[in-house]
Amino acid sequence: MNLPRRHLMIGLAGLAGTAATYARAETPLTSDAPKGHVDTAVQRVPFYGPHQAGVTTPRPEAGIMAAFDVVVRDVDGLEDMLRRLTERGATLTAGGPVPERDPNLPPADSGILGDNITPDNLTMTVSLGASLFDKLEGLDRLRPRQLQRMVEFPNDALVPANCHGDLSIQFSANLPDTAMHALRDIVKNMSDALVLRWMQEGNVPPVLPAADGTTPSARNFLGFRDGSANPDSNDADLMRNVVWVQDGAEPAWATGGTYQVVRVIRNFVERWDRARLSEQEAIIGRRKMSGAPLDQPDANEHTVPDYTAGDHTPMDAHIRMANPRGPDADKHLILRRPFNYSNGIASNGQLDQGLLFICYQADMELGFLTVQNRLNGEPLEEYIKPVGGGYFFTLPGVANAGDYLGSALIMAARQS
Amino acid sequence: MFSLKPTAFAVSITMLAGAPVLAADPSLDLVAPLADYKIYVAENTAQLVADTDAFVEAIKSGDLETAKALYAPTRTSYEKVEPIAELFSDLDVTIDARADDYEHAEADPNFTGFHRIEYALWVEDDTAAAVPFAERLMADVTDLDARINALTFPPDVVVAGAATLMEEVAATKISGEEDRYSGTDLWDFEANFAGAKKIYALLRPLITDDAAFIEKTDGNFDEVDEVLAKYREGEGFKHYEALTDDDRAFLSSRVNTLAEDLSMLPGKLGLS
Ligand code: HEM
Repeated sequence: MNLPRRHLMIGLAGLAGTAATYARAETPLTSDAPKGHVDTAVQRVPFYGPHQAGVTTPRPEAGIMAAFDVVVRDVDGLEDMLRRLTERGATLTAGGPVPERDPNLPPADSGILGDNITPDNLTMTVSLGASLFDKLEGLDRLRPRQLQRMVEFPNDALVPANCHGDLSIQFSANLPDTAMHALRDIVKNMSDALVLRWMQEGNVPPVLPAADGTTPSARNFLGFRDGSANPDSNDADLMRNVVWVQDGAEPAWATGGTYQVVRVIRNFVERWDRARLSEQEAIIGRRKMSGAPLDQPDANEHTVPDYTAGDHTPMDAHIRMANPRGPDADKHLILRRPFNYSNGIASNGQLDQGLLFICYQADMELGFLTVQNRLNGEPLEEYIKPVGGGYFFTLPGVANAGDYLGSALIMAARQS
Repeated sequence: MFSLKPTAFAVSITMLAGAPVLAADPSLDLVAPLADYKIYVAENTAQLVADTDAFVEAIKSGDLETAKALYAPTRTSYEKVEPIAELFSDLDVTIDARADDYEHAEADPNFTGFHRIEYALWVEDDTAAAVPFAERLMADVTDLDARINALTFPPDVVVAGAATLMEEVAATKISGEEDRYSGTDLWDFEANFAGAKKIYALLRPLITDDAAFIEKTDGNFDEVDEVLAKYREGEGFKHYEALTDDDRAFLSSRVNTLAEDLSMLPGKLGLS
């Protein structure tokens, strides 16, 4: 029998709704939604705490980095904006039913997640740019000491429209729609204070667990595992040293915050895909498939490279320049939390994709700036081009429901 | 379908009969503002015809400088009533389409109207090239004026028009892409803004239960005025490029907030 299935279904539905539903569940139709996962949809990252979420919390699949211009006039306006942003962050990351409105009004919510917002591991990490401290009276003296406008490195070709900003929000979530829903919410509810300046979406490809149950690092768009040598984000002591600003290092309000560096780095993937495997591995300093260091090619990505053992790893390999693993190596650690991005094609017909590089550190100079300065001139530069981004200071966490983002900064600004 | 609210029902009766009907429902106070708005639109389309006449005359006589000087002021009366003008989509396309609306951009034979003329004057630097488009524009605005006079204004279009005008600014003016050859975007910006303010001012007395909305909206309109005032020059405005990044961001925030808030107007006034 060759009856078109769709017709059969409609016939069944007409006769008995429940039977049709049952039949559909067994063999999905073309138009049925891909099946969501209840267990991941309900995952919630705590919003309150000494630090904001989205830095040392696990990096989910989807990310958006959005930079805004802040158009408030004074510290009162800034406080109002930060309070409302906190309220949106707390609401969206907790999830729950969308408020109903009179149908003759535009709906309160974009509706892209339906009438019940799933938390889906959403985090919204709010950071401030140097330009905000320049702009608002009374704020300049409270600027984090190392917060500056992003500088241009020799290999950069920065596109002004994709750089800097007074405030950044990093959205992370299991699903891209959850992150996008949150961005849409902010754009809709905060338009009087926040004007979107640039944004970049990205993703982390999920990886199947290895035989021993661990999950290997995800691959970036060069096909290499990315994150292997990252400091352990579950090690609270280490994170205190590497990521979180401690008392005394910065203006008091900044304790518990961190420096956020964002770099939109295009990858010339056609060219990379035409480079010999041995060259690719020499440029990065790791085996492509396993991520093992070149001096121990049969080990795994977490094996620590040994640069004293012969010349297996070229001096100018990316990982060796980024971290020569000398005696002061711990001082220069950074926590990388990047996403891959793909923006269609460039005007020359080549794929426009790359790495939405994001890293966090307690000290800009010892962290990103030192590492990037070491990397200047690396052979990898032939295949990459930083085109956008900015430097921001991630605000300390929101202690509890009575607190709000940046409350310590606002309080300090009021004390003259 | 069968649960039409009294207001909406009464309003549709008004439309059918083509004559104002007053009813006990206070929302039907819309009738007076609608009549006032119709006068406003008619004045503007009449002005558009008169201004276009002078503009076209300058083009035909080969007076490039005068033609350039008249381009922006001629457009303003169109920009003020854009939500109503857009009811005639055929004319909106021939009068106000942009090169991006066509596959072959400026070279596209279907590209006509203000922006085609703008292109001829500023880029081709040639009044002769503009003549056929100028003649077409004259015919189109005359047609528009006649059609508007015969039109019964749909209340929902008028009330939603305030937000529509702000959407216009947010979508095409704030980026400077509308008048890209001449840089006269701030003229349009001001005109869209004046059109929105007119509608809001007519309806404002009907919003009796939301002082916060009125206060916020009044404030946002005033703030846009203040920023725009910085760019006034002679009878009009400076080149779009004079707009600083900070002011652009500020205007963008106010325009988007106005669009957001004014999108509540139809619902607030019981229109569905
Ligand atoms: C598109 C640009 C980049 C690509 C494709 C890339 C790729 C990689 C890869 C494949 C690794 C080895 C695996 C790992 O440890 O994660 C790595 C390591 C690393 N990268 Fe990058 N990277 C890029 C940009 C950067 C930038 C901008 C920085 C900082 C300025 C940076 C700093 C590091 C550091 C610190 C390591 C670890 C080195 C170690 O301790 O062994 N990378 N990168």
